[in-house]
Amino acid sequence: MAAALEGIRVIDLTVWFQGPVAAQHLADFGAEVIKVERPQGGDQGRGVRSIKALPVGDWNQYFLVINRNKKSMALDLKKPAGREIMYRLVEKSDVFLSNMGVELLESWQLGYEKLSAVNPRLVYATNTGYGRFGQVNKPSFDMTVQALTGIMARLGEPGQPPIYLGMGSGDAYGGLMSALGIMLALYHRNRTGKGQMLDASLYGAQLFLTAPTLQAYLATGSEEYSKQQSRKAAENPLWHRYPAKDKWLFLCVPNTDESWSRLCRSLDDAALASEARFDSIEKRRRNAKALVARLDKIIKRRTAAEWMARWRPLDIVASPIHNLADLAEDPQAWENDYFVETYCEEVQRQVKVRGLPIGLSKTPGSVRSLGPELGQHTEFILTETLGYSWEQVGEFKAQGAIL
Amino acid sequence: MSKALDNVVVLDLTTAFWSSIGTALLADFGAQVVKVDNLPGPGAGAGVSGWDYKAELAQRNKLSLALNLDDEAGCAILRELVRECDVLVTDWPRAEIERRGLDYVSLCALRPDIISAWASGFGPKGPDRDLPALDELAAARTGMMPILPQPGQPPVYAGAGQMYTAVMLAFGVALALHHRQATGEGQEVDVSLFAGNMYGASLDVQAFLAMGGERFLHPVARLDAGNPMSGILYPSQDGRWVCLTMPDTDRWWPGLAAIVGLDPNDPRFDSHEKRCGEHRLELIRVLEEAFRQRPADHWKRELTARQLSADLIEEFDYPANDPQAFRNRYILELDRPGVGHVKTLGFPIFMSETPARFNRAAPCVGQHSAEILHELLGYSEDRIGELAANGVIA
Repeated sequence: MAAALEGIRVIDLTVWFQGPVAAQHLADFGAEVIKVERPQGGDQGRGVRSIKALPVGDWNQYFLVINRNKKSMALDLKKPAGREIMYRLVEKSDVFLSNMGVELLESWQLGYEKLSAVNPRLVYATNTGYGRFGQVNKPSFDMTVQALTGIMARLGEPGQPPIYLGMGSGDAYGGLMSALGIMLALYHRNRTGKGQMLDASLYGAQLFLTAPTLQAYLATGSEEYSKQQSRKAAENPLWHRYPAKDKWLFLCVPNTDESWSRLCRSLDDAALASEARFDSIEKRRRNAKALVARLDKIIKRRTAAEWMARWRPLDIVASPIHNLADLAEDPQAWENDYFVETYCEEVQRQVKVRGLPIGLSKTPGSVRSLGPELGQHTEFILTETLGYSWEQVGEFKAQGAIL
Repeated sequence: MSKALDNVVVLDLTTAFWSSIGTALLADFGAQVVKVDNLPGPGAGAGVSGWDYKAELAQRNKLSLALNLDDEAGCAILRELVRECDVLVTDWPRAEIERRGLDYVSLCALRPDIISAWASGFGPKGPDRDLPALDELAAARTGMMPILPQPGQPPVYAGAGQMYTAVMLAFGVALALHHRQATGEGQEVDVSLFAGNMYGASLDVQAFLAMGGERFLHPVARLDAGNPMSGILYPSQDGRWVCLTMPDTDRWWPGLAAIVGLDPNDPRFDSHEKRCGEHRLELIRVLEEAFRQRPADHWKRELTARQLSADLIEEFDYPANDPQAFRNRYILELDRPGVGHVKTLGFPIFMSETPARFNRAAPCVGQHSAEILHELLGYSEDRIGELAANGVIA
């Protein structure tokens, strides 16, 4: 099948997660992504040895999955010869992407002005920490930026520590924003012949990530959105989290009289339906705490599966709250290719990986290979793509410009 | 300034906040997005009193056409619009899409190169493809809710999963537009809340797939974090939290040791292996004790002075007043008639040649009905008046 980004060449000068995952989206849809890495050790993500204090095992999935479908070129950009190679690559590429600091890129003479002079059609994308403008210039790993957005402070029960949305959650969003920006710029370039510079920062992305509550806070200034709220109170107790006998459930029932009576019928608690303090929309809202406490008791009487079996025929919307082991077996994830299996060279067997969250019917994404070895394609790119002779390759090697 | 998506017409049949944000992103970058409001729906202004801040974000830069789709004349107008649009986006249930003749095959008959994007709850395949498109259901299935909080605490719903899906929707459409630009071929695009939630949880999900283990199934206590210097919170003297992210601890250890009064050569902690391995819990205990000694402001000064990768946990009032957020247009200040000075989320992507623009505020229902019918379909004023009189448009 055809690929959406056939013929698009991307220079991927990124490390860790946000930048690499942006390029991964493009690589999945068929762009030729060339990951440019420092010869000494390459991307720091290659060095990940443990996650949550557990050893990563025999294959470094952290690095190999976000760098899938890519080629690797080991290039020392501190050396003039390394930069010369980079400029030639820029001439022959469509996109330059980096999540290195803007100052570092300038010091390597890889700023926007320089590269757009080399190739005016180039789409030049950065992932800064806090945006291209303004005074802020400090380290920007995912969780510290998430800390500043305010989303962490509002999650969890009052008095509990703030809550992080998950490893790399903000990076994943910044990477996706970056991929979107690159596509918009490519579309514009194809029409006009003109490249441009774009930036998707970690801070900007994470502010947008918290839109459902931050937008409400910006409008109202209400602490209801900015501070931790107890589960024991709820705006609508029928749309809420409850523990069943074995695991938690998410009940998603609108607060209407009709759905309340339907829910009551399913609960086997004769007293509840007739309780005056819950017999109107307004009273269920006003007496929410008491209702949460009542439902807590009732729902604990049966298992999640028992409740789901009762609720489904009544069109009462709910879901068991799964853990990652449930997710790993979820047929819905596998049938839609949100998970796929692919061959891992490193361990010579099929492995399970995060698949393709975006479906395109005629130009679907694919997982063709996992992350490359450091410098695996350096010689190939130098000779085939950039037209250097083997003699020149030897000189570059002697100078230490390539691995 | 030019627009990235100049001349792209999007027929927007989304109904939810998150999916409407997906099409708003296309509008921000210059697509002409025609939002179809189904009549008889809530009348203009119904349901929300005062400023509708959700619409301010999700419907900005769009045009609104109010159309009665239960009327054959309304459906006919919709079909005519399909012929004129490049992209159709909907989050309707499948049965509804088919009933209205908006399935891909029917759309292609009207416009062969159309891009048809469907934003669903759980994707186009599988046993649960027709579950309602609710972020809560998708989050519940993703496996993260139980492990976000501390041990013994209720599972956490963050509400962020839908925002990944919103951007995937815009990205998927942009990919399809790119392919159509090269080949003239349209296609179907699908994204789902489930996929968005799973993608947001990428690293945890992938680590579990590869490594397995009980540690991924239950909350990990704060004082049992995998790395004492990264992805961890410590309370300061005044109760405010300090958040550290220094994954490559060799690089950051000398600076951190200095501000907490430890000897960087302390033999318990003088290598990454020791800090994250055999002496991990001890280092967490030592840092916990150290951060409690001084207030948050002290730590902020010290962390900043040494350019360490760490910060304080802030609340929403921080970005709401952060010059950096305004300077980069991540948050905008606007004047709204009858409301006054307001703040709203802005644009997460900066583009030098085709920047996102705020051209028009969220429309009232049917605000542009006449304009669209006239400009896109060439209807006469008389005809438009007649359709309005018959309740086909509003």
